Amino acid sequence: MSGFVAALRVEALKARRSVVPLVTALAFSIAPLVGGLFMYILADPERARRMGLIGQKAQIAGGASDWPAYFGFLAQAATVGGFILFAFVVAWVFGREFSDGTVRYLLALPTSRATIIAAKLVVVSVWCGALTALITVLGFAAGAALSLPGWSAEAIWPGLAHIWAGAGLTLLIVMPVALLAGVGRGYLAPLGFAMLALILAQVVGATGRGAYFPWSIPALYAQVAGSAGGGVTALSFAIVAVTGAAGAAGTFAWWLYADFSR
Amino acid sequence: MSAAAVQTRGLTRRYRDVLAVDGLDLTVERGEIYGFLGLNGAGKTTTIRMLLGMIHPTSGSAAVLGATVRRGGRGPWDSVGYLVESPAPYPGLTVAENLWAAARLRGVNDAAVERAVERLGLAPYASRKARALSQGNRQRLGLATALFHEPELLILDEPANGLDPAGVVEVRELLQSLAAEHGVTVLMSSHILAEVDRLATRIGIIHEGRLIEEVSAAELEARRALRLVVEARDPDAARRSLQNAGYDPQPTNTGLELREPRAVERPDDVAATMVASGQAPTRLAVEQEDLEAHFLRLTAPSAELPSPVLRKAS
Repeated sequence: MSGFVAALRVEALKARRSVVPLVTALAFSIAPLVGGLFMYILADPERARRMGLIGQKAQIAGGASDWPAYFGFLAQAATVGGFILFAFVVAWVFGREFSDGTVRYLLALPTSRATIIAAKLVVVSVWCGALTALITVLGFAAGAALSLPGWSAEAIWPGLAHIWAGAGLTLLIVMPVALLAGVGRGYLAPLGFAMLALILAQVVGATGRGAYFPWSIPALYAQVAGSAGGGVTALSFAIVAVTGAAGAAGTFAWWLYADFSR
Repeated sequence: MSAAAVQTRGLTRRYRDVLAVDGLDLTVERGEIYGFLGLNGAGKTTTIRMLLGMIHPTSGSAAVLGATVRRGGRGPWDSVGYLVESPAPYPGLTVAENLWAAARLRGVNDAAVERAVERLGLAPYASRKARALSQGNRQRLGLATALFHEPELLILDEPANGLDPAGVVEVRELLQSLAAEHGVTVLMSSHILAEVDRLATRIGIIHEGRLIEEVSAAELEARRALRLVVEARDPDAARRSLQNAGYDPQPTNTGLELREPRAVERPDDVAATMVASGQAPTRLAVEQEDLEAHFLRLTAPSAELPSPVLRKAS
């Protein structure tokens, strides 16, 4: 256990000393701010029409200007935007060891590789949790500043649960990115995979089978699946859980058994 | 404690059609400084990575400090320090933070880290980000990371890389004192012959994945060929006079050289012959082939290499 705590402290230090957490925080902050802007526009339809394009986009994304609509937008941000950012976080935490050549220092230590991978996964989870907390807090602040209507416990708790469950599902589907960072020995392969998964999610979502494609499910859950839609079922959640477990298990196995020739 | 520090049996690694390491039988006894010598691409780093469990052998086995190195196994790593290829500290962390992180993962206290910082002269750079270090200081940081936990075995891949001449001497003295005073076993690879020559107690020469010679430093000294170097005012006339006396002088850039034992063992006879023929030598010296020449002779592509297994040191 002490080895795990030590590995966790080391991974936390590596993350803290990098600009990547700040960059991801800034990137994710855009979501509640843009959402707030949409709410602001939608609060006055006349103003929305005068604003042309932005008004039309806001109409598509939100529709109404109240707390449930705003939380719906944030849940979409946590799944679609979250997928890109979480994938970036995972690709960085795992891939940087190869890109920087530092992986050689992690391989023949009294602290096992599995312990180090576990610590990395915890750091990734905390990091993604912090990003979700950030958009939640900023969302509350922006919503309060706009005096959005519809504030009630019945609206707030499901809305919050939606954002956090969406973020949790997204964290699970980015687990294979960690494996790809090892197999591809750097950032490029995992980020390429994330882009491909995002495109495939759109395609599969459009065919109406998104509820069974792991990388479509969180976004569908947050109801941004597009016209074809498709209900997310218990099986969908199971598929996401299996994807996450397979990605994590694959990452552990790869680090234990792969050749590190660089 | 009787097990060798490093022992490999038929250690082999193949990458598709390339045989990077070919049936390596290597033994490094405890307390030795073993120089693992080879050209770039000879298989040194692949061997070292196999010893550290980073690469899996295609066949054969390796044991480090008596423990067999296994896939993903824990191994004896708390007693091993290593530097593989060029050091790669975390660029965004300072020197102190890099060492702090390494110390946490090794379960070592900060006092040990401070000793290593002092020992390698890194104190002035402790708060400098690793990305801003010179290559020499990166190498020092890599060495500090390898030895701060006072390991029994140090596996160092090209430890003098990037160091200036003063740094090379410092590191050599450091390794010598670790071996002499603390009984640390050192396995160091190098393609810099002079470095190995001055430090190692035993030397293994690897070429195209095979160990082609393994000797003690003293034996290597004896094995290096001797030659008699002769210079005269008229080299052609001197050569003819020596040939007339039954020697086999070969012209060189500066004069002549004789390799036959008769000349090397009795240079005074050569001098007398030359003086008698009116070609008194202006210089006469018995020289030992340097390690570089010995090494190049062993690894020359045209050389008829003996079987992969070598003439073992006694």
